[in-house]
Amino acid sequence: MNHGFYLWMSYGATAIAIAIEIATLAAGRARARRLIEEERDLEAQD
Amino acid sequence: MTTMALGSLPGGFAWAFSCDFRLAWRNPGETVLVVAFFVLVASLFPLGVGADMRLLERIGPGVIWVCALLAAFLSLPAMFSSDYMDGSLEQMALSSHPMVGWVSGKIAAHWIMTGLPLTVLSPLLALQYGLEPDTLLVLAAALAIGTPVLSLLGAACSALTLGARGGGMLLALLALPLFVPILIFGAGAAQAQASGLSPSPHLSLLAAGLIVAAMGLPAAVCLAIRIALD
Amino acid sequence: MNWSYFSSPSTFYRLAGWLSPWFFALAAILTAVGLYYGFVVAPTDAQQGEVYRVIFIHVPAAWMSMFIYFVMAAYSAASLTFNTRLGAMMARALAPTGALFTFVALWTGAFWGRPTWGTYWAWDARMTSELVLLFLYFGFIALANAFEDPRRGDRAAALLALIGLVNLPIIYFSVHWWNTLHQGSTVKLTGTSMHVAMLTGMLLMAFAFWMYSIGAALTRVRSIILERERRARWARSL
Repeated sequence: MNHGFYLWMSYGATAIAIAIEIATLAAGRARARRLIEEERDLEAQD
Repeated sequence: MTTMALGSLPGGFAWAFSCDFRLAWRNPGETVLVVAFFVLVASLFPLGVGADMRLLERIGPGVIWVCALLAAFLSLPAMFSSDYMDGSLEQMALSSHPMVGWVSGKIAAHWIMTGLPLTVLSPLLALQYGLEPDTLLVLAAALAIGTPVLSLLGAACSALTLGARGGGMLLALLALPLFVPILIFGAGAAQAQASGLSPSPHLSLLAAGLIVAAMGLPAAVCLAIRIALD
Repeated sequence: MNWSYFSSPSTFYRLAGWLSPWFFALAAILTAVGLYYGFVVAPTDAQQGEVYRVIFIHVPAAWMSMFIYFVMAAYSAASLTFNTRLGAMMARALAPTGALFTFVALWTGAFWGRPTWGTYWAWDARMTSELVLLFLYFGFIALANAFEDPRRGDRAAALLALIGLVNLPIIYFSVHWWNTLHQGSTVKLTGTSMHVAMLTGMLLMAFAFWMYSIGAALTRVRSIILERERRARWARSL
């Protein structure tokens, strides 16, 4: 195994992990927005 | 309920300790289970690993410590949950005894019923693993110092997870990582002795851990119980 | 200046929204410069060749894993002492990022260990404590989400974070206590024996990770605030 393999695995995994975190951040934001929408709809019903 | 020195810290300690101790004495099922588990699992390893005495001697301290950890862990869910369920935990929290007192009493009773029997039995198991007498003594000493810390840490985790979803798994996720340093130093002490090095650094660190835990954790357990009761 | 103004979730929501892009931008720039130093300026290592360049991720990630836990514990202490909701929300916001960097530290450590020490994993003091740290993060997140009432989860997890704080000195000092695989620290407060370009690259990446962590935490806390405060008027009027 040449050293490039280890470097790629390390940097690659880090990049993927950060990408996954950013994706979960975006998903979290979407979810929060959706909950706000629901609350607004509930309020409009009253 | 005894009215021993109502409203005082030692009074509370004595009351909770004697209460739990008497309960366990009359219903020894829990304690017997813990001890039986300890002995059983520790006996399983030689059966699985083979009777190579040199191998057993090397893994002995670690295996016995892991069994002690697991056995201590088994008794954690029951520490506060029955009192929590039937409301008596809330009663005790509202009583005039300072909380730290009776919480410490409960933890001490827990150790007497789990950690202490394990420590006392450990030489027998150590002989099963062919450990030398001096290693055996160090192992017992390490268990004597370390198992109270397990009780203290376990009490905190048990109080934190009262009424939580995820039950035993959550408790394991919380408690076992916190147990790890005790395991490392405890088993390390015996291993050091076995390889001719001095076990005192390990034992000193364990003792320091016990002092820190004994000073800080009872208050933490009280806070955890208050959080659970709110 | 009335600092308690910023501890109201609605105010902090706006502030965090304004700040977080800057932190992400800074992180991106620092990463670019740091990697430039790491791959172009820093020379090949005499003993390890090119593979040592994992250090530009591994060490900063390990530093972040401990630093974030420390900040998380500080917010936890504040939230328990002052009974603020925002403190607990910040602790919750930090935990996943902390777990990420702990994982990265462990993973890159394994892939650095294999070519240099010959093994992906060794039960040495620092690796084991770092693994324990990962489980502490998981435990925090699990406990915080284990209750119907989010405030109960806040307070229980905050207390857990403080109890687990003891693990940090153990990681930090473990390298001194045990003579195992990890070398003694090369970067001390008094100076370093490392090549300047390597050190610069490492510090730049550490800063990059720090800025990223702040950006991520601010973004995450905004979602948490919205969810918690969704019944408040200011939230519904967004």
